[in-house]
Amino acid sequence: MSQKETNRSASSDGGTVFGSSVIARWEHLRGQEGTVVALTAIFVALFPWLFARAPVVADFLQGYQDLATLILIWGIFAIGFDLLLGYTGLLSFGHAAFWGGSAYAAGIIAKNVIADPLVMVLTGTAFAVVLAWVLGFLSLRRGGIYFSILTLAFAQMFYYMAASPLAFLTNGENGLTGVHVDSLLGVVNLEADLPSIAGTLLGTGFYAFVGVFFVAAVAIAFRILNSPYGMVFRAIRENESRAEFVGLNVWRYKLMAFIISGAFAGVAGSLFAIHGAYVPLESLFWTQSGEIVIMTVLGGAGSMFGPILGVGVYLYIENIVSTLQALTLPGTSIVLIEDFGFYWHLLLGTVFVVVVWLAPDGLWGILGSIRRFIAQQLRRLVVFVTERLGGAN
Amino acid sequence: MSVLSDIIVILLNGLQQGAIYVLLAVGLSIILGTLKFVNFAHGALYLVGTYAGLFVALSVPLSSGKLQEWGFSTFGLGWGFLAALLLVPLVVFVVGLAMERYLARSFYDRPDTDQILVTFGLAIVVQELFRTLFGSNSLPFTQPERILEFGSFAGIPVSGPVALPIVGNFPQWRLWVIGITAILVALVYLMVEYTDFGLVVRAGTRDAEMVRLLGIKITRPYIVVFGIGAALAGVAGVVGGPLNVVNPTIGTNILVPAFLTVVIGGVGSIAGAVVGGIVFGLTTAALVSLAPAWSQVGLYAIAAIVLLVRPQGILGDEEVAP
Repeated sequence: MSQKETNRSASSDGGTVFGSSVIARWEHLRGQEGTVVALTAIFVALFPWLFARAPVVADFLQGYQDLATLILIWGIFAIGFDLLLGYTGLLSFGHAAFWGGSAYAAGIIAKNVIADPLVMVLTGTAFAVVLAWVLGFLSLRRGGIYFSILTLAFAQMFYYMAASPLAFLTNGENGLTGVHVDSLLGVVNLEADLPSIAGTLLGTGFYAFVGVFFVAAVAIAFRILNSPYGMVFRAIRENESRAEFVGLNVWRYKLMAFIISGAFAGVAGSLFAIHGAYVPLESLFWTQSGEIVIMTVLGGAGSMFGPILGVGVYLYIENIVSTLQALTLPGTSIVLIEDFGFYWHLLLGTVFVVVVWLAPDGLWGILGSIRRFIAQQLRRLVVFVTERLGGAN
Repeated sequence: MSVLSDIIVILLNGLQQGAIYVLLAVGLSIILGTLKFVNFAHGALYLVGTYAGLFVALSVPLSSGKLQEWGFSTFGLGWGFLAALLLVPLVVFVVGLAMERYLARSFYDRPDTDQILVTFGLAIVVQELFRTLFGSNSLPFTQPERILEFGSFAGIPVSGPVALPIVGNFPQWRLWVIGITAILVALVYLMVEYTDFGLVVRAGTRDAEMVRLLGIKITRPYIVVFGIGAALAGVAGVVGGPLNVVNPTIGTNILVPAFLTVVIGGVGSIAGAVVGGIVFGLTTAALVSLAPAWSQVGLYAIAAIVLLVRPQGILGDEEVAP
């Protein structure tokens, strides 16, 4: 609101029409679905190149292709999780059931029936949706903390089921090994590098495959959240009983939010099974639910891209920072913390506590405040300079 | 005869397993019932209790972790088990006070989800701290041989088998766990139901504002309730430590059954926590001997059934339950 007011006051001032109209136009475009999807697609197309292959930048980041793929997969998971936590206000500790469950479903169908990647994703997602419907129906019987505890409990039940009574299907504690994935629709081998420029930018076919789902996930989530349906989710988060009094069937919307977020987790989990050609038993354990909670909240629950940022930061620290021997002062050889990589989990946990405590909007919220501060200063500068020029005339 | 003895063994094992759940659940339940605070770090208090108990009672060699790298080859004072049983609850009580004062208190007015998130984060920090210091390896927490040993006084043996009628030999320490739990829970129950302190606490649960208007400073009972809940988790760690493996993940692993115990027993009800703990303990013990593959699943199946039939928990009060 305050931004728009500043814009208006700036444009009413004769000298600054051009500068502020560009800003205003951008502010308008920024919220459009087309812009968001296009920017996401550009990001997806450039990300692995910047992360793993670009000169200078990639040397600095030390990323690799596989990690870029993994970040997108967890990103899809986080978008779905945030629909539930950030927008509807329901904290589920049971999403490992959808993540791991769909991975197992995709892996089992590939081993026993047909190993087409598209079929695997469809199967895994369908399984997650059905599971989410059942678990949501059970867990939503109680609100608040009970919902968190019940989702946690029911998801744990699946972990123990997969660990032993269903070991004949799931291969028990060893995880589902030897998942072979066929070519996409019998034509495109996903493991091979893409030809020419696409190969330089995107790398493997599997990354492109995941990228398509990622862009679709962003588009669908954006569409839902900016529709009247998504407004109801927010209304429920703000005040459940008031939403009820307005005449909304809160229970139905909450169940639907749970199922939608389960579907996103299902897509991500199936892709995860294809990515590793293996499903670890740990993918069902409740600490995996904890990880998605940490990623989402760290990045910023209740924002479109915060959770994805959280995923990136978490996985980057887990896979790259954790291999660092010592933290040195940049550009020097002064050692700040010996054996730095060893402490990554401890540091991340501490940062998480601080974020929950002091910055509930997460890293994305912090970035947003910085961006707004800079934008405000720039705007002031523009006004100042144009006024001076106008005065000189 | 053998079937009867099998049944009794299952009962005793179930009670012992349930006793650990009860100790944790009573603490969780009084904190949740009175302070309306969701403590996902309760398992971390259990973890602190276990390691502190090991530290006071025994002296064990370290095989991994930073402490070993820093040159500590052994860990512990070796003062014996009675000292651990008396000292550790006091230590964890103080930890609980600090936690209420510096963390929980600033979250009373914030949403449930924030309380869960911050205590979950704290639990991870504590777990990783222990993993850093002691490594991921399990530490050997042997069962105490005697209790009440002072100098030349030999004390009362508490480990090893004891001959019971019908059953025959049974690990004695398990009976002690049941006994210690029974005494502690009875004390907490009496305190909450029959003392002035308990009266204030119960009144505060119903209407904190009214208690404050009557001129009673409600913060003090609150912090004590938190401390007592924490101390019970500490005791659970000390008595349960020798019966399970001791490594940094025990805190997060025990949290889920402990919370389920509270929920199926009925929040805020001490009797409910006891019933819930015993139900879970007996289920686990029965399944371990009858259908081992299903032993863990059974716990969650029971919880699901109870909640479908009675969402407020076995002894839960429908009106109070949110």
